[in-house]
Amino acid sequence: MSNIISSALRGQFRQTNEVEKQQSTTQQTGKVQMNAFYKWLLDPKRRGALLVTPAVLLLFVMNIFPLMWSFGLSFFHFKASSMKPPRFAGFYYYEKVLADPVVWDRFQTTAAIVSLSVLTQLVIGSALALLFAKKFPLRREILMMILTPMMLSFVAVGVFFKLFYEPTFGIISQAYMYFSGETMTLLATKWGAIAGIVIADAWMWSPFVMLLVLAGLVSVPDYLYEAADVDRATPWERFKTVTFPYVKGLLLLAVLFRTIETFKLFDIVYIITAGGPGTSTETIAVYVYRMAFQFFKTSQSSALSYILLFVVIVLTNLYLYFVNQRNEGAS
Amino acid sequence: MFFKKKDRGIREAGWDRTLITGVVGMVYFAPVFWIILNAFKTRQDGLATPPKLFFTPSMDNFFNVFYRITDAGDHVATGMGLYFFNSIFAAGAGVLLALVIGTLAAYGFSRYPLRGNDTYLFVILTTRMLPPIVVIIPIFLMFRVTGLSGSYIGIILLYAMFNLAFSVWMMKSFFDELSTDVEDAARLDGINEIKVFFKICIPQLTAGLAATAVFALILTWNEFLFALLLTGNDTRTVPVAMARAMGGQLGVDYGLLSAIITLFLIPVFVVTYMLQNHLLRGVTFGTVKK
Amino acid sequence: MSTLRKLTSTIALGAVVGAFAVQAPAHAKDITIQMAAPDWGPTRFMQDYANKTYKSPTGNNVKLAIDFIPWGSFYDRVAASMTSGEKKYQLVVSDSQWIGTFIEGGQFMKLNKYIDADAELQNILKDVHPALTESYGTYPYKSKNIYGFPQMPDTKVTFYRKDLFCDDGEQAAFKAKYSKTLPCTYEDWESVDWDTWGNIGEFFRRDAGSKLGSGTTPDDFYGIAYQAGKTYDFSSGQALAFVWQNGGMIWDESNQPNAQAVGVVNSAAAVKGIAKYVDLLKYSPPVAKTGQMGIFAINNLFSQGKIAAIVNWNAVSATAFDPKSSTVADKTAVALPPGTMHNGELVRWDVMGGQPFVLTTWNSDEVVKESLEVVKWWLSKDTQLNFAKKSGNSALQSVMAMPEYDGIKPWNRAHKNVLKWQKDFWHVPEFFELLTQQQEEFDKAITGQSSAKDAMDSIAAFQQELLTEAGRIN
Repeated sequence: MSNIISSALRGQFRQTNEVEKQQSTTQQTGKVQMNAFYKWLLDPKRRGALLVTPAVLLLFVMNIFPLMWSFGLSFFHFKASSMKPPRFAGFYYYEKVLADPVVWDRFQTTAAIVSLSVLTQLVIGSALALLFAKKFPLRREILMMILTPMMLSFVAVGVFFKLFYEPTFGIISQAYMYFSGETMTLLATKWGAIAGIVIADAWMWSPFVMLLVLAGLVSVPDYLYEAADVDRATPWERFKTVTFPYVKGLLLLAVLFRTIETFKLFDIVYIITAGGPGTSTETIAVYVYRMAFQFFKTSQSSALSYILLFVVIVLTNLYLYFVNQRNEGAS
Repeated sequence: MFFKKKDRGIREAGWDRTLITGVVGMVYFAPVFWIILNAFKTRQDGLATPPKLFFTPSMDNFFNVFYRITDAGDHVATGMGLYFFNSIFAAGAGVLLALVIGTLAAYGFSRYPLRGNDTYLFVILTTRMLPPIVVIIPIFLMFRVTGLSGSYIGIILLYAMFNLAFSVWMMKSFFDELSTDVEDAARLDGINEIKVFFKICIPQLTAGLAATAVFALILTWNEFLFALLLTGNDTRTVPVAMARAMGGQLGVDYGLLSAIITLFLIPVFVVTYMLQNHLLRGVTFGTVKK
Repeated sequence: MSTLRKLTSTIALGAVVGAFAVQAPAHAKDITIQMAAPDWGPTRFMQDYANKTYKSPTGNNVKLAIDFIPWGSFYDRVAASMTSGEKKYQLVVSDSQWIGTFIEGGQFMKLNKYIDADAELQNILKDVHPALTESYGTYPYKSKNIYGFPQMPDTKVTFYRKDLFCDDGEQAAFKAKYSKTLPCTYEDWESVDWDTWGNIGEFFRRDAGSKLGSGTTPDDFYGIAYQAGKTYDFSSGQALAFVWQNGGMIWDESNQPNAQAVGVVNSAAAVKGIAKYVDLLKYSPPVAKTGQMGIFAINNLFSQGKIAAIVNWNAVSATAFDPKSSTVADKTAVALPPGTMHNGELVRWDVMGGQPFVLTTWNSDEVVKESLEVVKWWLSKDTQLNFAKKSGNSALQSVMAMPEYDGIKPWNRAHKNVLKWQKDFWHVPEFFELLTQQQEEFDKAITGQSSAKDAMDSIAAFQQELLTEAGRIN
């Protein structure tokens, strides 16, 4: 499955023969003098493994081990708040979570927020990137203004957007009132509250998308544009045939990372709406938090998390597969 | 081969573009500007209706970042200076470590693919998919047992882990894009592998390293949950200490919070500004091939 | 006070045994008692005052070291510490409702045997207001098992603009419109019920530019507000008062397993109370419609001069008297919160705020003994009086009975008089689930997504199922 990802990321470029080519060349370098251990260590057979070992070790200790621990707990009756030893439960908690209508409701809410937010980030990020894809005076300085939001903490963004939306004190609400004469109570309805969250999240992270897209845009060789000009290509055609291929891989990377991160969106939601009105903006991440840390349903929250992980993995792969298919179809 | 500057697609635009992007930039920056402005406001000015753009600036909030006034009227240091150091140290060291380990791994994944290479890569990516709350209790337990809790080394290792996925993925794409011609030529000349890596690959990737570092720094700088639970009084970071400005008697102390946010923005802003050129060039190298 | 606690947190006090090293003449030891506490005035006072005055009567060299954790992350930090077996704290500040979780988890210690053996502690407990002992220390709620002592007691009282309520013109206009007196003095407020509260809300609703008191209001002005936010217990903290005052009940944990939820929680009286609670929000500022009108939101609105009167925790709205954070510091007065006429009497049942502190279970006898000495010092008359003068509320009846007490803080008189009306909600470990679902349903009613009746039916059904599953209802 992950073949798909990396080849999608590589886009239409380069292929794997290079790898083989390299390996044969490295063998020739064996002439170089080395002592036995050195030689053993740098044996091409285990060179890949050797290089990767520190990363795997760190991940294992800091991440995989805790993951396995909580994965294990999802098959046991266990409450973190209690000192009772765990009892085996089999798939009990998975069944329980899957049968829980609340979970499905939270998934739908999460899906709505993730898709709206990532889409917004994509549109705004790309638009910003197009604006900045030329050289002009003060470009560095103005670019910094755009990049700053993602340097803020989620908590800061949450607290201040909540204040901006506050009907009496908020500057957004006051601006709205100034122009419309009406009081703005954005967070009073489900879609208003979702909009409030999406605006804050998209504002914060569109610059991330912009950076990646911009990197693609500035890499398009000039002569391709010149050629397009000679062919009298329309702007759209030029975009499609010249610009987009250079941006696509990065755009994909941006969407991938933003989707994964937005699925975990917690602080902004928790601070701005606390999941309200009612349960309109309760996301999966908020639900997992409540379950794990407030209700101390440790096993159930672990089970839910792994279902969530499964969903994200499937979605990611479906998405990558889809994009990849289209690429191949197009080329 | 990678691109020479003149080959790349940046065309010149004039002051008209400056004007357009300037307006867009100002709109985009407005919320941050408002936060910074707030840092200089008294509570009254901060909550004034209609909002005050002009007011008598007050430095009280900045003073309160570093000092607390007791009932008796004494000024007591809040330790915020230390927390700033901790943040810079923990995030900096964590990013650096992730970069070193991640670059090695990326080089391995790129040049010496293992069986199931892509699976490993994907597994590394999945470590960023779970809500951190799920793993926090086991990590908390583990830290307590190993004595890492409250130590710098603990939080630095965590931050390194935190950034590993991103570092590996980004650096691998840079390595993938790097032509192997020069490396191969060097090898034929009998240059050993370590020199190939350090003398040939790395110099070509400084921009990529810079870009990865900036991204990783931005993603780490504001980390809250792990820092909350795994740092002690002496190793507490700013995002955790920032909570002091929220939920006291006043609820959110907007002025104090703004002052902390403003000060806390400066280091990451400066680093980003300095590495900005690399940011674009680096990412370019990384993903677009010819 | 629930206030902050509500934010998320609890307090845990922990004491840690420090280096046992030591020498000193007769076996005196250096002992550090570490306590987990939220970072704010009442706990800062405890630390500062301990540094200044605390000397253990045992002769040991005991230091109280409070780990100040910001309110916003207090609960998470304490919960992680308790559930991971960190055993770092010997004393913990806790919201009263959290105690069940950590008692059943084995982290908080039952104190009866120590109290039974200690006449001084018994005397202190006799002096602590009984509503505080009951709410803060008992598990199951209202049982004889004691677990905690008051750290910072808190109640909800009315903060109002005396410049408006005592304005002659407004007085006359109100009288003409409602044939009632617009309450101006503390005594006037003693007879205010929620209907009059509604009248006040309607009366003081003014558009920007209208006349208000002796001037005009530059912004839209509103009459009344109380908490109605989704976060933590920012609606339950007020809404349950309406349930109780109308003769309704919540699930009665002191009568497990016979007490039921369905039929009790959604009784006609309870529904009537919630309907009233929701109805009065129409006189509140627009933020009420969003379900985000928490305890800090109403305090900000009041302090910035947008509301005539609020009912709020005194520990929070104390800031309305601070000119640094309030534009109405010199115009604010405090009175009893409104009540409900029930069987010919004005009843004021309300939700207890504030936090207790508790002892943890993993300490040596010696440390337990020293921790209890700290408790005795904290609840001594001298400490409590100084506490009341600085940043807190005293728990002792003897302090509250002192002639000077009413004058120390503007809310002291009202606070003292409503204490006897305070009840707590559940202490059982299922507390957070009960609260979260209840907050969701209240929020739906507040934002117009459902009716009071539907909300209460849903709450009752949920509680019945959850508590039955937990074995708390037969």
